[in-house]
Amino acid sequence: MDAAHSERLRSFFQGVRFSGPQEELFLRSWNVYTFTQNELITQAGSIERYFYVVVAGVQALYLLNKNGEKVVLGFSYPGSPSGVFDSFIYHKPADTFLEALKPSTLLGISRSDYLSLFENHSDFHKWGHHFFRDILFGRLFREVELLTLSAEERYIAFMERCPEELRVIPQKYLASYLNMKPETFSRLRRSIRY
Amino acid sequence: MAQLVLTPEHQIQRLNQILNRATELSTLPLDALTKTPHPKSWNVLEVLEHLSISYSLYVPKIEKALSEVTPSDIGSWSFKVRPWQRFVIEGQRPKGNKRRFKVKTLKRFEPLIAQGNFDEEKANRVFELFQSTHQQLKNYIVSSRTREMKHPPFSSAIGPIVKFYLPEAFEFLLCHAERHMVQIEEILATQT
Repeated sequence: MDAAHSERLRSFFQGVRFSGPQEELFLRSWNVYTFTQNELITQAGSIERYFYVVVAGVQALYLLNKNGEKVVLGFSYPGSPSGVFDSFIYHKPADTFLEALKPSTLLGISRSDYLSLFENHSDFHKWGHHFFRDILFGRLFREVELLTLSAEERYIAFMERCPEELRVIPQKYLASYLNMKPETFSRLRRSIRY
Repeated sequence: MAQLVLTPEHQIQRLNQILNRATELSTLPLDALTKTPHPKSWNVLEVLEHLSISYSLYVPKIEKALSEVTPSDIGSWSFKVRPWQRFVIEGQRPKGNKRRFKVKTLKRFEPLIAQGNFDEEKANRVFELFQSTHQQLKNYIVSSRTREMKHPPFSSAIGPIVKFYLPEAFEFLLCHAERHMVQIEEILATQT
């Protein structure tokens, strides 16, 4: 693993303090995985093997509705976590797909190595507390937006906060994430400049 | 009749469910896998063997079609099934846990293992063959995902009366497998 990848992990796990040998062991638990554009990283029905930290690219997490259409639940991008977390933790087949929308580089850790981080370092519990709190609040915030904002307001709120990487992915994924038809998304994109 | 639009993701998800169920079945005792509800009906192993045989007839056709399709620049395919092919596919698809339009299996699709002649080793071979053939089918679907589904249609295993594009052939094989997974559940239900 190169220095930039190590730095990415240190930054992601900010607040976790290691002794020298501990950090070496921690960094050795991670591997680099690369995916081509449109490659399926995790398939629905298979078990997620890794918890990922994104180095490059954009990935979409989606499930299929009863008509087999994609419903996008979220995206991951450089600096964010990625993977199908419930499948990873419970070791059960995933209900969702994870797809690389752009060529992607991810740092991945296996389930046994991930769990041993919590067993061996108390700092990971503090990190986990903050990490899952942020995830929960993020999901609650998104639920409020979906339930209370109009399509136009959802579009504006998303474009105001979305990272640059997400502005270049296919519109159909962004439209699905914002719970609107691709035609509506396209109309809003034309009429509202960002 | 409403349109039938296929996507590789929907097929991959369903195939994974079948593979997962087959893995669970492999843990059942030999007695459960070899018992038949009626003297003339198949047991669980014979049903799986039938699926592997039926699939293998499509392998050269699928491989040829895959060699003919070119990369797409619009991501994964979405394919609208033609009316006649849709009729044939829907004839295979189980409705819930019911198998409709039952027909006698043609000789060439029948399992080769004589009934009452199973042991643990043969049972393991049936599961290994099922897993390898259906993993291969999944790999074919995955490798087709980002290709344009433009190739000369190929004859189905029942003859040139039904010709398939790749997504239609994948769907036919999947519905056929889903139909027989329902049959397996029916066989096992008679044992409880």
